[in-house]
Amino acid sequence: MRALDPRYAWLRQILGFAVALVIWEGAGRLGLLNPLFAPSPSSIAAALVDLFADGRIWPHLEATFTAALGGLVIGILIGIVLGVVAALVPVVAELLEPVMTLLNAIPRVILAPLFVIWLGIGLASKIALSFILVAVLIFFTVFSGIRQVDRRLVERIVTLGGGRRALVRHVYLPSVSAWILSNLKVAVGFAFTGACVGEFVAATRGLGYLLSFAQSTYNAALMFALIFLILIVVLAIFAAAGQLEKYLLRWR
Amino acid sequence: MSLVGPSGSGKSSLLRAVIGLQQPITGTVDTEVAPSQIGLLFQDDALLPWKTARKNVALGLTFRGVKRQAALARADEWLDRLGLAGLGDRFPRHLSGGQRKRVAIAQVLVLQPKLLLMDEPFASLDAIVRARIIQDVAGLVECEHLSALLVTHDLEEAISLSDHIYLLSRGPRAHLTRDYPVPIPRPRDPVGARTHPSFAPLYETLWRDLSLEVDRLPEAAE
Repeated sequence: MRALDPRYAWLRQILGFAVALVIWEGAGRLGLLNPLFAPSPSSIAAALVDLFADGRIWPHLEATFTAALGGLVIGILIGIVLGVVAALVPVVAELLEPVMTLLNAIPRVILAPLFVIWLGIGLASKIALSFILVAVLIFFTVFSGIRQVDRRLVERIVTLGGGRRALVRHVYLPSVSAWILSNLKVAVGFAFTGACVGEFVAATRGLGYLLSFAQSTYNAALMFALIFLILIVVLAIFAAAGQLEKYLLRWR
Repeated sequence: MSLVGPSGSGKSSLLRAVIGLQQPITGTVDTEVAPSQIGLLFQDDALLPWKTARKNVALGLTFRGVKRQAALARADEWLDRLGLAGLGDRFPRHLSGGQRKRVAIAQVLVLQPKLLLMDEPFASLDAIVRARIIQDVAGLVECEHLSALLVTHDLEEAISLSDHIYLLSRGPRAHLTRDYPVPIPRPRDPVGARTHPSFAPLYETLWRDLSLEVDRLPEAAE
């Protein structure tokens, strides 16, 4: 067998995907698939175009984005602060670590109904869910990261005459940002999970809300269109996060 | 001067105590110079991977209150002196092992220490690179009038670089056994020193005494 040219892997993947789509579409047209469960690609595309054509998708996209990015930013900030404090102050670590371990062990989306009761069905409950998903992840990244900082680098700074502030600035912060950047994609995924699940539970806007609307009206084409849309959005953010990581971690 | 001894005799601990990274269990460390005038060269280069070579070198100066621009200028000067002109903007990852070692040397010497401590600094380098770096370090130590204390396993290195070699006995409770003066005149070329008539006899003596220490059973605890 001839070896595959790895340069054209993407071409073969697209081709394979296209063939699958054609078979799917053909099966749909031949009446082999129930459109109620498995709508044909063309009707999904139509549903997608529809969403943008009348412009009613924008407020939903905006709501989900605001919730996810809000949760992401606050989650990263609070995660860093808690992680740094816990790593440097033993008492805080004693109190915080069990709580965080618990939060890490449970599927945190089960907190969604609680946040709706506390914060209402508006944006705040979605940001909160996004936040709790991201913050716990970042906390552990930072907390365990600081405790694993390369001792040799610490000694290097100390023997060059650097004090505590120099250590934080030149050793701890750069190490920590490297770990956070490596986890950024996971965090982005978590943030969107939080936003969508929050909207799914109770909301008046957002992609998750649209999904639950599609579910209640048995609109499979709309569901597929929304899933596809979320996929594209998250992939775009992944690409941006990847570029940021590549630039900031260029020393690696 | 050099300090040689079997593994575990506390050579590294001694250096760490001198610079204050480690508290001696008993006794005190007396140095004639302030801690800020002591430079320590580690076994590994331990450069900050996220800083370019020149920023790594400038780091210690900025801790001492030198302005950023001035610190970077002096860093460049020292990189030049160590033969790294033009490589200042590279990250450690993009330098060879020998180049990283040179950056680490510049990082220490830019602070103009009076006493230079070296903890097996050349152990990880291959032979040619190592000989050249040793030559350069010896030259810099002489022209900057530094006192240097080298901890090493390598007797050739010890003889070719030092005026005095001290042998540390086997631990625990290791102590200095003897002072071996090196009768090779200065200024000297560390590579040329190997062909000096007194090199081979001294090497043999040191080798024999060090072997005896290594083979000696540890002292029974009281």
